[in-house]
Amino acid sequence: MTTTETPLAARLVTQPRRSAGARRARARRALVGYAFIAPAVVLFLVLGLYTIVYSFGLSFAKWNGFSPTWEWVGLQNYRDILYADPRLAPEMRNAALNTGIAMVAVSAGTVLIALPLATLLNSITRLRGTLRSVFFLPYVTAGIAVYYAWRYVLEPDGAVNLALRSVGLGSLARPQGFLADPDTALPTLIVIMIWGSVPVAMLLYLAGLQAIDPAVMEAAALDGAGAVRRLRHITWPLLVPITVAIVLLGLRDTMQGFQIFLIMTNGGPAGHTDVLGLKAYQQAFFQSLSPTLGVASALGWLIFVLALLLAVANARALRGQR
Amino acid sequence: MIGNRRILAAAAAAVLALTATACGGDDGGDEAGGALTMWTFKRTHVDALQQAAAAFKAKTGIDVKVEAFTPDDVFTAKIQSAAQTKDLPDVLELHSGGEDLRVGGGGLLADLKGDFDGKLDRFLPSTRESGRVTQQRKDNIEELSGATVGSLYSVPFTAGTFGIVYANKAKLQAAGLDPSKPPATWEEFLTYLQATTKADKDQGGLSLGLKVTQTGFNWIYEQLAFAYLGQEKFASLFGKGTTAGFGSPDGQKTLDLYAALKPYWMPGVSALGIDEADIAFAQGKSAFNVGGTFTLAFLAQNGMKTSDVLTFPIPPATGGAVSDLRLAPLALTGLSVTSTTGNKAGAAQWVDFLTSPEGAGIFAKASLDLPATDLGTQAESLIGPDLAGLQQFFTGPAESTYDAANRGFRPPDYDEVEMGNPLLKLAPLGEADAATTGRTLDTVIKAMWDAK
Repeated sequence: MTTTETPLAARLVTQPRRSAGARRARARRALVGYAFIAPAVVLFLVLGLYTIVYSFGLSFAKWNGFSPTWEWVGLQNYRDILYADPRLAPEMRNAALNTGIAMVAVSAGTVLIALPLATLLNSITRLRGTLRSVFFLPYVTAGIAVYYAWRYVLEPDGAVNLALRSVGLGSLARPQGFLADPDTALPTLIVIMIWGSVPVAMLLYLAGLQAIDPAVMEAAALDGAGAVRRLRHITWPLLVPITVAIVLLGLRDTMQGFQIFLIMTNGGPAGHTDVLGLKAYQQAFFQSLSPTLGVASALGWLIFVLALLLAVANARALRGQR
Repeated sequence: MIGNRRILAAAAAAVLALTATACGGDDGGDEAGGALTMWTFKRTHVDALQQAAAAFKAKTGIDVKVEAFTPDDVFTAKIQSAAQTKDLPDVLELHSGGEDLRVGGGGLLADLKGDFDGKLDRFLPSTRESGRVTQQRKDNIEELSGATVGSLYSVPFTAGTFGIVYANKAKLQAAGLDPSKPPATWEEFLTYLQATTKADKDQGGLSLGLKVTQTGFNWIYEQLAFAYLGQEKFASLFGKGTTAGFGSPDGQKTLDLYAALKPYWMPGVSALGIDEADIAFAQGKSAFNVGGTFTLAFLAQNGMKTSDVLTFPIPPATGGAVSDLRLAPLALTGLSVTSTTGNKAGAAQWVDFLTSPEGAGIFAKASLDLPATDLGTQAESLIGPDLAGLQQFFTGPAESTYDAANRGFRPPDYDEVEMGNPLLKLAPLGEADAATTGRTLDTVIKAMWDAK
């Protein structure tokens, strides 16, 4: 008994010491961990949380970016954007309509092109890697320089008109160029946005297709299901979650992004390519230092609310798939 | 513990280093008599300002560092962020007639009244008071609500006017036109355009930076409408509750005159920015280009010889109130001294030199931009014959002179940007007729009046 009691007593005495040491060690490890994440937390607090709170406050004020004080106006900026200002509200409605058209068209266009492309790529074995790199090129190169290049290509004497005329499709050429023509300006920008978003969508689809068990497809084929039926009843249902993610990414990017509109048309001609993101930027920086930063912030928050609603809708759609 | 001390020591060192960096980050000019820093939003001014700075240094021993931030949105953001970090330069070149007053009203500019009130007679008469806080400006510009009437936030630097047509002499000649004879009327101008577009369908038209939509309204339509209607009826277009607005028979007639340009715009004109339109003209892609007096400098920078260009103001329409249109110069940019400068005396001295006949002459000759300083009979010798030649459009009887700076008859919250899109839909887009455009413009003007 004594032999068994002694080690127990010793354990009882030494255990607290050990656990205190372990706690210290754990605390040290935690401290190191906190130290490592501290820069990210500080960055988020300064560049993320601070600016979010700042911009939310600003959306209830009038300010030009340098005056010592803000003039609080309550909800007036929001009211002006939505209906109260007879000059601003119609512009915003026009921009919202263009944004909506672009969101739907870019998302749908991306899916319609990326899915068949990924299916084709998945069905070949030779040159798959090379072709994947080729199709991914627009994503790597898309940016300001490429937008400028597109502008040159789309000018009245640009490559697109030249190509159309040289293959006997001169009736499709646009004498004013594709960006100066009100009928083609927005569709052209949508096509370029689709061109930029297809690569990532294609890769996501390709990953999804490669994750499908070949045995399932083989069994379906043995049961007499043709290629179309396999695509419709097996492949597509398995790819729906990826499609939802791609659509959401397309909607979000089109709603919040405005660089392409700023660089290629600046909303023109005559407002035919105005979008909400561009209007927010113009209100912030193109008003000759007028106190319109509040309106720009309010518009930014309205866009955020729309994005949030989209995210909620997406989450519900994904849950529905499960 | 040793590890913790090391971490603490490293953190303390980092904080000290950051603090030291922050303390040392100010621009020059903080110490009295030190070097000055100047910001401009015009890249085309930098070389000329540096030449003037070299002459200034030879006289005073004070260094001036000139920096340009373009385009306008970048310059705006730069001022906003520098104001927050108290890192503004000593001197700013700003747009006159609004931007300078807003920045001054925001507390960023020093009052130059004491330094320059006695020297304003050196400037062209119509530009002298461009940077002054008046009661009317105080009532209309929110940022001036706390400003003192009489304060001077900027002195005029460059002057000029819009509505100058530049014609490519070679293209005129190729179309069988006399390259030394400008069209006398709007109708003759249209026949010129008809001839040049007939001679060269794709590269014989008219260029203008219509991507900045208000250029059509500000640089062509207003001058055309003023000349056709005369000052009183022109002012009525913008009146509060007016029945003689853009939708009236007079207003529609002026819109019809403007719409007559529709067949002659160069292809793709509505997608061109101002610089792009000028470059297109300099590259021979159009026969005519509309701009301002400041356009000459940009054309020269893009390789077009000034001797290859014929210049004239927007020609007045036949049967109108004005048969020989003149264009009053307005201050386009002004010079301001910031309220945070540590060397206000040196900064004011630099502004004084730049606006003196000597400094203005150096600047104008190098930049091909007209100074607001009245150079009188020395103009041609100081700024050269091409630039001096543009000044001939400035002088004439008051009733024949369109003055873009005369804004008293417009709504207090007048925004020219909003006038641009309806006119663009009229021409070159052709999406609306004159009657619809007139009604739209009247609605826009009414909304501006109702806004205040």
